Amino acid sequence: MIEKMFSEAEKFGLKPLKMAISSPKALYDMSEEQLAEVKFILIKEAFSHHYESNKFYRNSCVEKGVSPDSINTFEDLATIPLVPIELYKSNDSHKLLSVGLNEVELEMRSTGTSGIPSVSRRCSDTVDNAVLGIYAMYREFFKISKGAGLYLCPSTEEIPEMGMIKALNMLAGLLDTHRFMVRNETFVPEDAVEQLAEWQNKFSRHIIGPPFLINRFIRYLKAANIKLKLDKGSYVITLGGWKRFSGEMLSRQEFNDECKEYLGVEEHQIRDIYALVESNVVAIDDEHGEKHVSPYVHFSVRDPKDLGREVAPGETGQLAILDPMARSTPGFMLTEDLVRLLPGTSASGRSGQRMQYVMRLPESKEFGCCAVNLDKRLDDLELEASSGTCPIVN
Amino acid sequence: MYSELIADHFMDPGFVGDVENPALEFEIGNSVCGDRIRVQAGVTDGTVSEIAYRAWGCATSVATGDIFCESVKNTALADIASRTPEQIEAMLGELEPSQHHCVHILTEMHQSLLAEAQTQGVI
Repeated sequence: MIEKMFSEAEKFGLKPLKMAISSPKALYDMSEEQLAEVKFILIKEAFSHHYESNKFYRNSCVEKGVSPDSINTFEDLATIPLVPIELYKSNDSHKLLSVGLNEVELEMRSTGTSGIPSVSRRCSDTVDNAVLGIYAMYREFFKISKGAGLYLCPSTEEIPEMGMIKALNMLAGLLDTHRFMVRNETFVPEDAVEQLAEWQNKFSRHIIGPPFLINRFIRYLKAANIKLKLDKGSYVITLGGWKRFSGEMLSRQEFNDECKEYLGVEEHQIRDIYALVESNVVAIDDEHGEKHVSPYVHFSVRDPKDLGREVAPGETGQLAILDPMARSTPGFMLTEDLVRLLPGTSASGRSGQRMQYVMRLPESKEFGCCAVNLDKRLDDLELEASSGTCPIVN
Repeated sequence: MYSELIADHFMDPGFVGDVENPALEFEIGNSVCGDRIRVQAGVTDGTVSEIAYRAWGCATSVATGDIFCESVKNTALADIASRTPEQIEAMLGELEPSQHHCVHILTEMHQSLLAEAQTQGVI
């Protein structure tokens, strides 16, 4: 039925992928079987595209005996060869391109603790897909169309190619006003408090940024014994890693508790987003704290000791992403993230996959994004500032 | 977005790799989030006799590493030192504003090569 609908739409020049990307609500309302059919059609088409257009990827597929002809059922999707995420960091990452470099419109990057940037290149079609997909997901889960955003991160002007900042900055387009509070690698929490006071009773105030920087703000509020009360329609929106540069994991529950105490929000107002610069997927917390995967993307959770085997829902495994939105590079990637898919049905009634981030693969030397380096830089600067005021002569 | 020059050097680089027992070695880059380029070179009688690089970053910076290596191979260090900022900028051809930081990278590569040559006493 879905296939017939897609082929009818194609007769009028409509693209099934774009239709799906623009319709998360309709997809979440489908039955699991219908949604699986949508995903199968879109992912198989994407696989055929990369198989035909990307010599490096095709050679890997041929080596593994996988071709578009061998993908016939939803279960077969698990046989699609995966690009390990570290290839995006390699100095010959040009081989990942399924289009010519001249078709690349946007390069985005993320730099974790290794300092080696992971660069993802998007052609015009992929940028269209990513922009449509991200905005449609923001609308589905936040329903934001007004308010003020206190961004606890640097602006895209300061770091224009950073994927995380770019994705968060897209939210700003839905708001009435926003301010970036990290400027020239400096964050002054007093300024953030002042800005929130200025917006009080004028806008619903949202706090947006990577978890560490929001945590840093809360640490200041705690030390200064300031308890804020954000608005009924406010959100605290996080995107980025939960492991500090020091290796210390930030506890999500502790974070939520502190947001409630010091920012004056309720649990349902705290929303985390899982995203990767190399992929176009976003998984966003709903009002019950369940993270929903973009409904046209498939998360395949693998046994880290046997990557060909998918683990059962509820079990922790290594995340493989099958992303049909990626047209310039194969969107079939093996991440270094350990996640689990939530079993059963969702509290919000949405179909599709829901995930819980567990941790970065223990053997991965790399973690974090640009936020983790910024977190370190801010710590170093604080240390410098405090050592400058130390009365001991050295 | 990309000129033919940048596309060619990115898609088909000629100098990616390592030099065994390099006389000169340097790395440039932004430690927080920027591009990184590591260069290794051999010098014979004041001339760059062999050179290789590894780069991590945007396509233009990766291509810049290759363009630099191609331009200095078999060139006397003294001649490299005489290049003007205008000549260095012209080596990358026409760039979009978002690619312009690579002129700085290329300039820094020239400066680092010459500084390293001085430190090692080969110039």
